[in-house]
Amino acid sequence: MLAVSHGRDRDSFMRIYDHFMPRVCLYLRGMGSTPANADELAQEALLRLWQRADRYDPARGSLTTWVYRIARNLHIDRVRREPRWLDIDLEPEEGVLDEDVVEHEQLRQSIEQLSAVQARLIRMCYFESKTHQEISEELDMPLGTVKSHLRRAFQKLQSEVRGKS
Amino acid sequence: MTRHHLDASTIVGYAAGSLPIELAVVTATHLESCGHCRRQVEDAERIGGVLMEQQQPEPVDAAHLQGLRHSMLERLAEPLPPSATSIGGDDAPSKAFDPDRLPAALQPWFGATYSELKWKWMAPGVHCIRAKDTRTLFLLKIAPGRSMPVHGHGRSEITQILRGSYSDALGHFAPGDVADLDSDIQHQPVTSPGLACICVSALDAPLRFEGWLARKLQPIFQL
Repeated sequence: MLAVSHGRDRDSFMRIYDHFMPRVCLYLRGMGSTPANADELAQEALLRLWQRADRYDPARGSLTTWVYRIARNLHIDRVRREPRWLDIDLEPEEGVLDEDVVEHEQLRQSIEQLSAVQARLIRMCYFESKTHQEISEELDMPLGTVKSHLRRAFQKLQSEVRGKS
Repeated sequence: MTRHHLDASTIVGYAAGSLPIELAVVTATHLESCGHCRRQVEDAERIGGVLMEQQQPEPVDAAHLQGLRHSMLERLAEPLPPSATSIGGDDAPSKAFDPDRLPAALQPWFGATYSELKWKWMAPGVHCIRAKDTRTLFLLKIAPGRSMPVHGHGRSEITQILRGSYSDALGHFAPGDVADLDSDIQHQPVTSPGLACICVSALDAPLRFEGWLARKLQPIFQL
């Protein structure tokens, strides 16, 4: 990514594009976009990555997190048509993320080790854009139980993220 | 200093983009003043990023993919737009502190400043402003030293204190604090002496009042 942010290297960018484009499309389709809209939004998300590459700071988070944020924000802006609640530039108050490839891999493994119910709820929340109440109704699970599963899953994953900081 | 923070399940919902809009607006209001919760959101976004990357893309039509790729290459040749201020929007809030300005997340719903708010009487000592286009996002102004009726919550309530303060069985809530409440919590906020308590609240189901009078008045208040 540094070759893109510092040198505007198109070949390097297209390697990033080839990796992320199908994943962003799949994510956006899960969130409710039609295949055509998902293609269009994913193109726009990756074009934004190119256009704003000079702002990329690896110390502030991984490229994956940045792509995720752009795609999610575009979904909220264009599909939910709620453009005003995620567009505030919120900077962390203390420290930096210091996210590296090793931590990324450890987080990936921790996600795979979640219990089946926690993994399902996390997936419904992140990939199906379901509110806690919708999850509760769909799984016939009390709202408090949905929240406590999500809370525990997050804390488990977060301890992996934070354990290295 | 913030003493009451967002629940982890709210953090996850916000980072996933799956909170109902009313709850998301109050969450965003809290995040503007709470570095601790902003870091939690960043952690939850990292989880979202890893989840997105973990997906195994399905095989797609190679010609279609090639068309998209070609289109992207053409767009890379276009001149870059002027530097934007933030991802998803170009109107980041001013960093200069103005005590009359509402938090940026509330401005699209209630206007820019406290002094321009048009409060409506709701009950003795209680004024309210409902956000346009929604019935479950509202500002409340409660006179000092008032007891609110005992109530529970149908589902979730998130309240961010903007000015003044209140206390209930959960503790003391001052500016910057958020009460992120579940359906199993019943409470009776009592505002502190001195300043009126101004807060922004979002519900995703009507409140459940304990007293018969509050229950009778609930359809009028529409809470």
